[in-house]
Amino acid sequence: MSSVASPTPFSPAAPKTPRPVLQLVDVCKLFDGFAAVDGISLDIDEGEFVTIVGPSGSGKTTLLRMLAGLESPSDGYITLRGELINDVPSNRRPTCLVFQSLALFPHMTVGDNIEFPLRVRKVAPDERRRRALELMAKVRLPEDYYAKNVMLCSGGEKQRVALARAFAYDPDVLFFDEPLSALDYKLKKLLEKELKDLHRESGKTFVYITHSLEEAMVMSDRIGVMRAGKLVQIGTPEQIYTAPADRFVAEFFGEVNVIPVRRSADGWLRRDGRPVAVAPGLAIAGDEASVVVRPEYMRFVTAEAGADNTISGTIFNEYSLGSRLQYQVRSRTGRTFLVEVPRAAAWKGDGEVTIGWDAASAIVVGG
Amino acid sequence: MHTLGETRSRFLIRAWTAFVVLAIYLPIACGALAGLSKGRYFAFPVRVLSGEWWGKTWDSFEIHVLVQNSLLIALLVTVLSVLFAFFGALAFARYPWKGRRAFQRLLLLPIFFPQPVLGLALLLWFNALGISPTWKTAVVAHLVWIVPVVTLVIAIQVFSFDPVLEEAASDLGASRLFTLRTVTLPILWPGIWSGALFAFLLSWGNFPLSLYTAGADSTVPKWLYSKMVAGYTPMVPALGTMSTLAAAALLLAGGLIRILVRRRMR
Amino acid sequence: MAETLLSAPAPKLTPGLRAALPVLALLAAGFLAPLLTVAAYAFATPKSFDVFRSFTLENFAAIFDTNNTVWMSFAWALALAFACVVILLIVCYPIAYGLNRVFGRWSGLVSVLFVFPLFVSENVRLYGWVLFFIKNGVLDGALKWFGFPGGPELLYTPGITLFGMVYVYLPFMLFPMTLGIAMIPRDLVDAARDLGANRLMIWRAVELPLAMPGILIGALLTFVLSAGAVAESKILGGQSVITITQDIEAAFTYAQNWPLGSALALILVLIVSGLALAAMARLDLDKILGKR
Repeated sequence: MSSVASPTPFSPAAPKTPRPVLQLVDVCKLFDGFAAVDGISLDIDEGEFVTIVGPSGSGKTTLLRMLAGLESPSDGYITLRGELINDVPSNRRPTCLVFQSLALFPHMTVGDNIEFPLRVRKVAPDERRRRALELMAKVRLPEDYYAKNVMLCSGGEKQRVALARAFAYDPDVLFFDEPLSALDYKLKKLLEKELKDLHRESGKTFVYITHSLEEAMVMSDRIGVMRAGKLVQIGTPEQIYTAPADRFVAEFFGEVNVIPVRRSADGWLRRDGRPVAVAPGLAIAGDEASVVVRPEYMRFVTAEAGADNTISGTIFNEYSLGSRLQYQVRSRTGRTFLVEVPRAAAWKGDGEVTIGWDAASAIVVGG
Repeated sequence: MHTLGETRSRFLIRAWTAFVVLAIYLPIACGALAGLSKGRYFAFPVRVLSGEWWGKTWDSFEIHVLVQNSLLIALLVTVLSVLFAFFGALAFARYPWKGRRAFQRLLLLPIFFPQPVLGLALLLWFNALGISPTWKTAVVAHLVWIVPVVTLVIAIQVFSFDPVLEEAASDLGASRLFTLRTVTLPILWPGIWSGALFAFLLSWGNFPLSLYTAGADSTVPKWLYSKMVAGYTPMVPALGTMSTLAAAALLLAGGLIRILVRRRMR
Repeated sequence: MAETLLSAPAPKLTPGLRAALPVLALLAAGFLAPLLTVAAYAFATPKSFDVFRSFTLENFAAIFDTNNTVWMSFAWALALAFACVVILLIVCYPIAYGLNRVFGRWSGLVSVLFVFPLFVSENVRLYGWVLFFIKNGVLDGALKWFGFPGGPELLYTPGITLFGMVYVYLPFMLFPMTLGIAMIPRDLVDAARDLGANRLMIWRAVELPLAMPGILIGALLTFVLSAGAVAESKILGGQSVITITQDIEAAFTYAQNWPLGSALALILVLIVSGLALAAMARLDLDKILGKR
């Protein structure tokens, strides 16, 4: 994101096809009176890659389990291609879940695992084998893995087996429950890309849950953010990133600088009473708000390059993020701010700095 | 890596274990020796070894009946206790349910119970019900003690079974029965197999329960005991050794089958 | 316990309860019912079979009568059981430790060697010791053969009874203890050593408390089993010691005094199950067996 995006009001993504494949209407799940999922409505379109993100305990796994048929909703409707599937058991749904633990059958070979759904459908052994080998090629598993014990496979290979098995079921919708969470960073990045490719090639609908912003950003057409059983926001990665619905969403999506402000007759004021320049056209209800500035939009202010808003402080930490550098700056009031700049723009002066941001690159959220 | 002290203590542990193992098998060896020595009375050192008493034992009709009784009881106990224990183990280790902890403790009670007292209590109970004790009542008595043991053996396997696998099978379209047949049972199989072996061997060698609950029907351990207290014959150690060897052979075969099946699955 | 489970107000038949039902039924009919019968008999008229028809405390009065020496049997049984537990703790600890930390890939085989005797009837194994210790037996004969005057007279003493119990119940101590020691995370021992603790301190402060659940189960199991033991004193001890189970058996068989036998059995059962339940209440079986 090189250009500075202007904050836009929240709006749902324009549907790619008029007919949603999966529709959720006011879906709830109660466990002993506690609402794990609390009234979620959502349309998922044919061929879409939707990711639901949220902290642990936000109800995203419960939501996914209801979609897969492993739990039934306490209230609301789930329809698949227009048919109500609330109480259809998982083995009768044309959907398939890739579990967090992958749930590979430990007593079977790679081939047997992939062929399992075909065995259920009584496909002839020769045909099963042919299909399994085809799928293995698709997920880039070497052919001689067919007879390998699945427990002797590496983490990435197991991942591919689980994917191939899910595809063997030939589901309308594939669900993913944080399947990449146990892998190391490099492998995760590789598999994220492969998953995205697979999504494009297969044209199937993917619903993915994760707690990782990065994963969601890389792969999804749309991202939904959950908190305490509710869907807080849903939109394209761009929308979620540049126009978070509230402070929770903004903070969930990476490190941010949050400057609390309050309304006055002359506009928004900081805690120290100084006015804050914000982009025009804000529609904030209450008198309290937060200005959210991502570290990469915060910069060092010099005589040559000014900014709409400024804060002076002292650098007390410097981190390398690889191609970028991050500075921690403590303001006079004792608050800590993050400034992230390209390595080429490293701060060369002494520790006393003035930092600032432009009104257009800040987001103002209520609360 | 190891310090001198550690090396020494490791040696002592090995030596001590070897000594205890030897002590455990010493009386079994003494029995084998007595059964193989010629003559009516046992004296050490044995002067002449002979298969005389093995032959007599092998040919004795009385002993055939005993072995048949013991086998029948053990086979019935094996089948029944695996059935009971399979579901018991699921209740013990798999499902989270309200009475589970109480169930776990109740299940252990018969194991934590002196078997002679249990046998006598069962005898009283059968009498109160008007059932005269036979080998059939002995089967019930064996079950009371063996089902909990087998349940524990299978439960250990169930603990390591991830229920998500069943969900995954169902999600891939499998019915409950298909899941049970292709996923649950094959994974629990080693535990069930060990449980069955345990059931058979524990029933085969059980003495205190058979003593009080088999009535006039005799089993191998019961007959051995009656001859030990009144009227030694070298058939006692001979039959004892045969019974031990049979158990060892079965254990070995059971272990081999397990290893072979595991190999084939690789 | 089963009654409360079964008669709880209209329990929903959860999968767990459904799976437990066959075993619950078996234990209700084959374990609790017999114990209740024993309890009922304990209050019946002595030397009668008037169970459920008479109620009297005479049996207990007879047991607690100062002229009766039955308390000696109780004392012997409990003292022998206690001694048996103490000896087994010492005998088994090094082996259990070895199974976890020393024998490596051999520990499977060593375990089997210790399991196997469980499948051989205890009277056969005990009789082997008779053949070993008896006059002109293996020990005596071997000593004479080497020119010694012969073996010591060990058979038919209380000591040999205790020896028999230790021998028979060894696996019941060893395996729970091994499970218990397996519960000690290696990291903790390394961490304690890294923090400068010596071996005794590590053992006392880290290993022993963490292995305690398993050790406790082993001690309890062997105590209970040896308190009710009978074959050891009959075969090896030659009735030099009369244990309580022998008294109970005698009342049931030769004396045909079922109510007295039941009263004795009831007292033993109360001692035993009281101990078992008290100790089990403190154990987390999921953790011990499931290693979760």
